[in-house]
Amino acid sequence: MEESIISISHLAKNYGSFQAVRDVNITVNKGDVYGILGPNGAGKSTTIRCMLSLINASSGSIRLFGHDIKTHRKEALSKIGCIVEKPDFYKYLSAESNLAIFGRIAGADVSKKNLHKMLSFVGLQGREKDKVSGFSHGMKQRLGIAQTLLHNPDLIILDEPTTGLDPQGIIDIRNLILDLKNEFHKTVVLSSHILSEIELIANRMVIINKGISVVEGRVNELLQQEELIVAMEVSDAEKSLQLLVNYPAVQKIDQFNISITIDKNEIPNCIDSLSKGGILVYNVSSKRKLEDYFLKLTNA
Amino acid sequence: MFLKNTYNEFIKIAAKPRSYISIAAITVLVGIILFAMKIDGPAYISFITASFEQTLNFEGNIMNGNLMAFIILQMLIVQIPLLVALVTGDLISGEAAMGTIRMLLTKPISRTKILLSKYAAGLIYTFFILLWMGFLAVIVGRWLFGDGDLMVLNSDGLVIIQANDIAWRFLGGFMTAFLALATVATLSIMLSCFSDNSIGPIVSTMSVIILFTIIGTLDVPVFDNIRPYLFTTHMAAWRSFFDNPLPIQAIKESVVILFAHIGIFLSISIYHFNKKDILS
Repeated sequence: MEESIISISHLAKNYGSFQAVRDVNITVNKGDVYGILGPNGAGKSTTIRCMLSLINASSGSIRLFGHDIKTHRKEALSKIGCIVEKPDFYKYLSAESNLAIFGRIAGADVSKKNLHKMLSFVGLQGREKDKVSGFSHGMKQRLGIAQTLLHNPDLIILDEPTTGLDPQGIIDIRNLILDLKNEFHKTVVLSSHILSEIELIANRMVIINKGISVVEGRVNELLQQEELIVAMEVSDAEKSLQLLVNYPAVQKIDQFNISITIDKNEIPNCIDSLSKGGILVYNVSSKRKLEDYFLKLTNA
Repeated sequence: MFLKNTYNEFIKIAAKPRSYISIAAITVLVGIILFAMKIDGPAYISFITASFEQTLNFEGNIMNGNLMAFIILQMLIVQIPLLVALVTGDLISGEAAMGTIRMLLTKPISRTKILLSKYAAGLIYTFFILLWMGFLAVIVGRWLFGDGDLMVLNSDGLVIIQANDIAWRFLGGFMTAFLALATVATLSIMLSCFSDNSIGPIVSTMSVIILFTIIGTLDVPVFDNIRPYLFTTHMAAWRSFFDNPLPIQAIKESVVILFAHIGIFLSISIYHFNKKDILS
């Protein structure tokens, strides 16, 4: 049986009459790279802040490593390393001093050897004595990850870790996260508003929208089991509908375009039926229903 | 963990350029006062003693280091709260403004300990500021102007304190002044808990001090009942150590009132900081 590290049930957070989070349920197991996906303003950051006791939940329960975050905050946080929103440091201090400050109160080994080892792991070797004020966003993000690792936590929480990074920075951070899982065997929770981002890194995920966790599960299962929405450019849309009468959910988009929700394996049969009926198929494109669903959410 | 974090906080204070503004300002101000006294001191003293010269004959070195130290304390003790608030008002709100408060509060240390370690570091800084001012006023003052009896003019008249009776009075005076400044530091830290920017708590602290001082000096009966309980009324309690006889009861009252304010301000800070949602 999988060991649950984070268990959030019916989490809600209100600011006056505004409900930032309405009903979020999350289960993260040991060894997961868990993605929290949702459009901007969905409640991802609020959920993470509640998880880390930065803000007090209005209702619901949050258990980290079996500890209630309200009553056993210290025990729970001792096993967590995190970056919330963006990595902010004391700009007037060096990278090394910043790490020492955060490491000291996390109970970490703050010897120069260990600090340099961590900075080296995130690719900041040679910049130990440099003041953070001169660091780019990507360098701060790396320093943030070094900071999360200092006390050797079991769980790493990263809130939108690739936001504001250039393409190379995104790849670097993605690789760092994968190293955390594969080399250090850490459980990682990360939030993002980009589905492809989560798809590339996470093995499990939740989609949050308007403060509600809409769907949760294994990424590959959620993506593979979902039916595809197939768009076809055909010579006659009206006649195509008649030929595909046995397929449910066939829709005419315009005179030459139809859409159909079907399993991937059914696509060749569908095209075959149209060809036999004298319909020419010029173009076939598909997208997953989950992606479409998420895009609808984000567009909303 | 508390000591480790207090050490952290002191590193942060020591690394901030604004922390040295106070030291520089005090050094310059004391330097100016000592320089002015060295040049025009006798004229200044004769202006003060003019009304007594008909009845009293002054002998010896009146314009000595002890008098310089007293004058400096009297002049600067009004400005020091601003210099203290400049640093202590930034201790919590500065972290919120920088965003580092998120990093800090997700570490396995209680919010109360974080606040108290910031408070302790703030008090150490306040003590150091006062110590520096004391060093410049008393030690440098004596070095430049020599030792001698201290002549103090207060509301009851002229008090002469013998040179060998002064050291403990300065010590008591500095300790009481520290308590007054610690009250200001606690007030600014409390206001800092309610703010997410650095300037607000500093300005608010000075506004409270100015408001309370005005209420304290307005000779209006409606304020008679609250005046004794305002901390600003007791900020000059250090001066009582230079009265003869020593007003022990008044000093005790001042100490109790200042401690009560520290207790109240600190309790509010701890309560609010523990309940606060970190949204910055």
